[in-house]
Amino acid sequence: MKKPKVGIFDFACCEGCQLQIANIGEDVLDVLGSIDVVEWREVMSEKWGKNLDIAIVEGSITNPHAVKRIQRIRKKAKILIAYGSCATIGGVNGMKNNFNLDDIRKYVYGDSYRFFPTEMTKAVHQTVKVDYFVNGCPVYIPEFVAVLKAVLQGVPYYVPDYPVCVECKLNENVCMYDRKVTCLGPVTRAGCNAWCINNGNICYGCRGMVSNPNEKGAQDVLAKYKIPMDLILNKMNMYNKCRELG
Amino acid sequence: MEDLQYVILKRERFHDFISRLSKMQKLVAPVSKGYHHFAFEEVTSGNEIALSYIPTILPLKKFFMPQRETLLEFKTAKGTYAEPVVEYEPMTIFGAHTCDLAGIQCLNMVFSERPKDYNYLTRKNKITLIGLECNAYCDEHASCHLVNASFPSGGYDLFFTDLEDYFIVHVNTQTGDEIIDIIKSFEKADMSHIKELKRLRDNKSKIFSNEVSIERRHIPELFDMSFRARVWKALEERCLACGNCTNVCPTCYCFDIRDELELNLKRGVRYRVWDSCQLEPFARVAGGINFRKERSARQRHRYYRKFRYPVDRFSRFFCTGCGRCTRTCMAGISLKETLNELIKESEDRVWKKWL
Repeated sequence: MKKPKVGIFDFACCEGCQLQIANIGEDVLDVLGSIDVVEWREVMSEKWGKNLDIAIVEGSITNPHAVKRIQRIRKKAKILIAYGSCATIGGVNGMKNNFNLDDIRKYVYGDSYRFFPTEMTKAVHQTVKVDYFVNGCPVYIPEFVAVLKAVLQGVPYYVPDYPVCVECKLNENVCMYDRKVTCLGPVTRAGCNAWCINNGNICYGCRGMVSNPNEKGAQDVLAKYKIPMDLILNKMNMYNKCRELG
Repeated sequence: MEDLQYVILKRERFHDFISRLSKMQKLVAPVSKGYHHFAFEEVTSGNEIALSYIPTILPLKKFFMPQRETLLEFKTAKGTYAEPVVEYEPMTIFGAHTCDLAGIQCLNMVFSERPKDYNYLTRKNKITLIGLECNAYCDEHASCHLVNASFPSGGYDLFFTDLEDYFIVHVNTQTGDEIIDIIKSFEKADMSHIKELKRLRDNKSKIFSNEVSIERRHIPELFDMSFRARVWKALEERCLACGNCTNVCPTCYCFDIRDELELNLKRGVRYRVWDSCQLEPFARVAGGINFRKERSARQRHRYYRKFRYPVDRFSRFFCTGCGRCTRTCMAGISLKETLNELIKESEDRVWKKWL
């Protein structure tokens, strides 16, 4: 089988998810052995410019220039993978949507703000069709490998549609709520093997929310633990602001 | 005859016993995880063990049916190659409460049904089980007496009862007998020890009583008339569908089977992982249809799988009264409460018939 030609692109992001590929460790050879990387700005100077089998896209879409560029990439790529929270759910860039766009431009660019057009932050799928999602901030490498395998086989990858609590429980962690700490695990999609909680941190909701959350029940739980709604909404908006755009 | 099956272990020899036991093969026992939570983990000394503990976060099933287990290795090239795999590790479990022993008894029945599950059964045969008696209730969430699991009734190799100055140990199997022989920390029990055990058990029967006001034999009947109860509808708004209640349940055994290829797509493994009827995708089938879409229907299903369906199939309840589902539920859905509400609702219904 011919190796698929792959381009890796970045939009508004910290490029940390691309760096995760270098963090794969030993398996990086297998990963790079199974694909033919023809464009990847972070590690190589060559540009490809032709049709691609797979485009891996990091970052969210935040200005008119980015919209045009992602549309061009979409046209050239048979398969498009949204890679990392910024790409899959808008991620932390979505916090911009809390503000008036002009105000935020002035705040960042000062007097010359007019030269920097901006738009509401969007996830990649809110702009063009996305075939596969690799969630996480940063991505969880075993999940990236699982998605890559699915792409190579030509089968779908289903992001688990149940909360992080499932995987957290399998790791036998003491529930953060029992430690009197607020955690977004109960409403956040699993697939990361409760990575943060396994390492003593809380869940920040970087993977987006489950498809059918019980909002009434969640509110009752917050009330039970005496957690103000605002606090949770703020925590949720850190990564999930773009979900309001539908 | 009876006293032949009993030996005693003096308290001062307990640590010695544990370190010797841990040298025979891998030993797991309840250890504290902080915040009043416990887990079965590998130990090598008695100091690590929490002798007084409430049911661990995950039950013993994690050793009998691991969260992820390879079943098959295969190649994708033409001409089939597939090799079954059985993963197991000999180990001893110390400190299993009667609720958890009951849980393993349930799993044994399930996986012994035809077609037999050789992966489970092979693993089970490599595990030595040492029980530990609860002299009193662990907390208010337990309902072990209701389901007849508050006193030991087999399913172990050795069973320890803490009588302060010493443990009295019931030797139940050949494996148990061999441990006693090899470790040599034990002494023969005499009539005074047996009497003290009997005194403890008499005292226990005063402490333990039906935690829910219903006779055990009436439970199946209660469920027969409760399928359309309002109780389930009320759970719709509360349940977060996180699956915690089934993951921590000692008798929930549902699993999913998946294939995973290596990146070169030439070889792969088939493995199984725990699944849960409480999760959104569990009953999602081809065409995107979900035949248990409502959380209320999923919760109802869980209760029927504990108190009604297994009664027909295995002649026992699949609830061991450990209380884990109640303790772990963020939404505060309590098993005892649900049963009480079902009883109340059914009484109302019977009463209304007469009016």
